[in-house]
Amino acid sequence: MRRFLPRLGLRARITIAFAVGALFMSAVLAGATIGLTRRNLLDQRESAATAQTYANAQNVRNQLESDVTDPLGVVSSLVTPTGSNPVLLLEGTWYPLNAEFSGDSLPPDLSELVQSGQPARMRFRYNDETELAVGVPLESVNGAYFEIVSLDELESTLESISISLLAAALITTLAGAALGWWAARRVLRPLVGIREAAHSLATGRLDTRVEASADADLAPLADSFNDMAAALEERIQRDARFASNVSHELRSPLMTLSASIEVLENQRDDMSDRAKAALDLMVADIDRFRQLVEDLLEISRFDAGVMHLDLEEVHLAELIMQAVSTSTDADVPVDIDADLAGVVVKADKRRLVRVIANLLDNAAKYGDGATRVQLRKDGDNVLIAVEDNGPGVPDEDRESIFYRFNRGSLAGRRLDVDGVGLGLALVAEHVRLHGGSVWVEDRADGGKGSRFVIELPAEAP
Amino acid sequence: MAVGTRILSVEDDERIRTAVKLALEDEGWSVEEADTGEEALNSFQRQPADVVLIDIMLPGIDGFDVCRAIRRASDVPIVMVTARADTHDVVAGLEAGADDYLTKPFAPKELSARIRALLRRARATDATATHLRFGELEIIPDEGVVRRGGEEIHLTKTEFRLLVELASSPGRVFSREVLLERVWGYGYFGDGRLVDVHVRRLRTKVEADPANPRHVVTVRGLGYKLQA
Repeated sequence: MRRFLPRLGLRARITIAFAVGALFMSAVLAGATIGLTRRNLLDQRESAATAQTYANAQNVRNQLESDVTDPLGVVSSLVTPTGSNPVLLLEGTWYPLNAEFSGDSLPPDLSELVQSGQPARMRFRYNDETELAVGVPLESVNGAYFEIVSLDELESTLESISISLLAAALITTLAGAALGWWAARRVLRPLVGIREAAHSLATGRLDTRVEASADADLAPLADSFNDMAAALEERIQRDARFASNVSHELRSPLMTLSASIEVLENQRDDMSDRAKAALDLMVADIDRFRQLVEDLLEISRFDAGVMHLDLEEVHLAELIMQAVSTSTDADVPVDIDADLAGVVVKADKRRLVRVIANLLDNAAKYGDGATRVQLRKDGDNVLIAVEDNGPGVPDEDRESIFYRFNRGSLAGRRLDVDGVGLGLALVAEHVRLHGGSVWVEDRADGGKGSRFVIELPAEAP
Repeated sequence: MAVGTRILSVEDDERIRTAVKLALEDEGWSVEEADTGEEALNSFQRQPADVVLIDIMLPGIDGFDVCRAIRRASDVPIVMVTARADTHDVVAGLEAGADDYLTKPFAPKELSARIRALLRRARATDATATHLRFGELEIIPDEGVVRRGGEEIHLTKTEFRLLVELASSPGRVFSREVLLERVWGYGYFGDGRLVDVHVRRLRTKVEADPANPRHVVTVRGLGYKLQA
């Protein structure tokens, strides 16, 4: 079955199996019923017709033995039910009561058999109807007596029984399919819960578990699912803790380095040019090192699921202006929808500033500087967009650019750039935590640069 | 201005302590060191410093306890050093009596700027405002004195500057950003929790019923104001 129906689900297969089973059973029952009914009805009818024919033949013989002058009169005097047609053969001449059924109507085999002195009966088709012919030889008067009985009424009775049985079979099949569907649904219902739990796990809710089942067949499944989820959670948290611990441990030496380098910087004027060059390298890299540790710590908090937002009412337009004014692109035009000038959202101010700063930083490093920062309304959401003048982001990189340590295929060639590749990943995490989304698209004015868009619900969580 | 100003630096990591001392001395401060909470308290008892810098994560008596102990004895400005800005450590430290905080690793120049801001004197607003009155509350900026119902209340330097700032325009609403700038010397990007916790601390001292403040009032979504 699997080979022929490879794409059907378990539920469809069970439903079909039930339907086919019901169809088979009802077909067998219907066939047997029709066969038995038919045989019973025919037997009855045939023995009745045979008995009647024998009785009439006796009657005809008695009359003809005393007087042979009026054979047709004898035939017409017989009492026969509707649908029964007597035919008399006397001295080679046929005397039918009904002109429609004469000696020619009879099957020749039957006719010959009876004329040779053998009583017989036979079913045959005549004028598109099923007939039964019964013949009795009348040897004492050199003749034979036949009756042709219509079985058509019987056929139509059988036909209506067949139609009823067919309808019953159809209903049984449908009922079977419905039962199968219901049973499959019932059997699969616990799996729906597990599917939902798996989905929930996949979206990052690591504490998701399925309800323990009292059903002996299902309990092991639920238990092993929960064991797996617990192991997964433990593993992910261990990794997150590790990253967090490492970053934490790095803070102490960084603290010493930051303070010491400042002491050295205070002596910069007394240094040789070579020492100054070395000092500048150290200053720049300690700064980069600090940024990396900060970013790693922040991101490990997301992974450990312990990140929480300090929500407050934030004046969005002001926040954007402030974020831009302290960035390296302080003179970039900020374009704010007139009706959003006073918009207030619930947000973590420090993180939202960080998000915008990271986007501006990204534009400065990889996009030849920001060209425009926009605040727009879009239905119930607000859009913050940062456009740049760079080469744009190819379609295949537009999702992966938000992955950790991924600077896109283009950025890899820019060796002078000193980013660590966590900026956009942090943007994505922060925005997600705020109930929003972030993406990159082509610049709105059709220019060659890229446009990073943050969508935030105007009523943030 | 900083010459002679003594900073007590409490830090258990010797290398950090030495590097921070060197950098602060370059900025012109004189630095006293302590490597445990006990030693910090002993040192402070012998000769109170002008500013205290405390690492929250100390072995033995932790930074919060040191903070509380010093605060009971003195209104000296306290800067605490925390691991993260987004933990409850910040609020806990501020509630223990710290005036400001920095996260590790910080630049000693930034620390100097913070200390200078905390050491500023409360601004006497103008000549006529030498004696301010809000109901039973009485503020004398030049003398650094606050009385409630005639009885003097003890405020830290930062609490006092916050109160005087609010009192400079009675009834006016000050946003958290404005207060951060005027009291702590931060710009827009300061941590609003500094203001919130200090307002809370201030209320416990100046309000008869801190849970239902009459004088230092919150204006939802906007900031704080002082009223009679």
